[in-house]
Amino acid sequence: MATTYGRTARSSAFQWFAHRITGTFLIFLLITHFWVQHYDRTTASISHSVVTAEEAEAGVLPRYTDEAAAAVEAFRERERVPSGESRIVVPAQDGRIEGDAPGPTHPPGETAAVTPYDVLMLRLGDPVYAVLWKGFNLLFLAFALHHGFYGLNNVLTDYIRNDMARVGAIALSWTLALVLFVIGAYSVIVAGL
Amino acid sequence: MAVVAEPVVARPQPVQRYRMRVGMFAWMLHRLSGLALVGYLVVHIWGLKAITNPDAYNALITSYHAPIFKVGEFLLLGAVIYHALNGLRIVLIDFMGWSPNQRKLFWTLGAVAAVLFAVGGYPSIAALVDHFTA
Repeated sequence: MATTYGRTARSSAFQWFAHRITGTFLIFLLITHFWVQHYDRTTASISHSVVTAEEAEAGVLPRYTDEAAAAVEAFRERERVPSGESRIVVPAQDGRIEGDAPGPTHPPGETAAVTPYDVLMLRLGDPVYAVLWKGFNLLFLAFALHHGFYGLNNVLTDYIRNDMARVGAIALSWTLALVLFVIGAYSVIVAGL
Repeated sequence: MAVVAEPVVARPQPVQRYRMRVGMFAWMLHRLSGLALVGYLVVHIWGLKAITNPDAYNALITSYHAPIFKVGEFLLLGAVIYHALNGLRIVLIDFMGWSPNQRKLFWTLGAVAAVLFAVGGYPSIAALVDHFTA
């Protein structure tokens, strides 16, 4: 450990330790991720239907469960009538009937097809829980990138014998990780806003 | 790691030869699955830029439902389960000092992996079977 062998910049003891910590965390993060994305009947973005390339070309979307459709419908209903706003009926003015007050733009009972984006918005568009899901995704992103790229660097360090090439490859790989973190974090934060 | 003293045979060999044991095989597979997962991670994060645009996201997710992706999903699950459980084995050995039991640990986790693979991979395979038989 670091205290036994000295804290030199080259010991990488902290990285070694962090690799095991992030790896252990990733097991739990991955289980949650898989469950939510693939197995939960309401929130799974990847459903179990198969859509061929030709079908996708023709505009066919994956099929979702009745639970997902019901949740999306409930979500739209909430969005349509923000609590305490549209309920206020503007008093009729001269010659205008009450029906002119702002109200639902879709006829009640109409259900459009459930798209993957609708299912995604159940989590990332939720006014309350989106913050938690985005926090989860950011943590997952940071841990996965650190774990993955530290592991990649171990492999690069082992096999690239030329000093210059090794330093170059490591610098390049961490740059790529940073770029991916910025892209991923931006996407997660902006989605559904 | 338990070091077993072996008779030293000083015989120069032209090519370095390793004794292939289960642990070495596990290590190689851990590296290969790790590299595959890093490659997947890069593609995955890059692709998920689409979550900021409804049409692009719908197209992306629909493309993930192609038959070839269902096979890929199954392979990905295999790589993740192997890498996760072998990684857990390494953590247990490093932090808990479980090395005397490591052979037993390896096969126990192997059994857990087989169960997870069967249960988790079933939907992808069932969807494929449905698609090609219906």
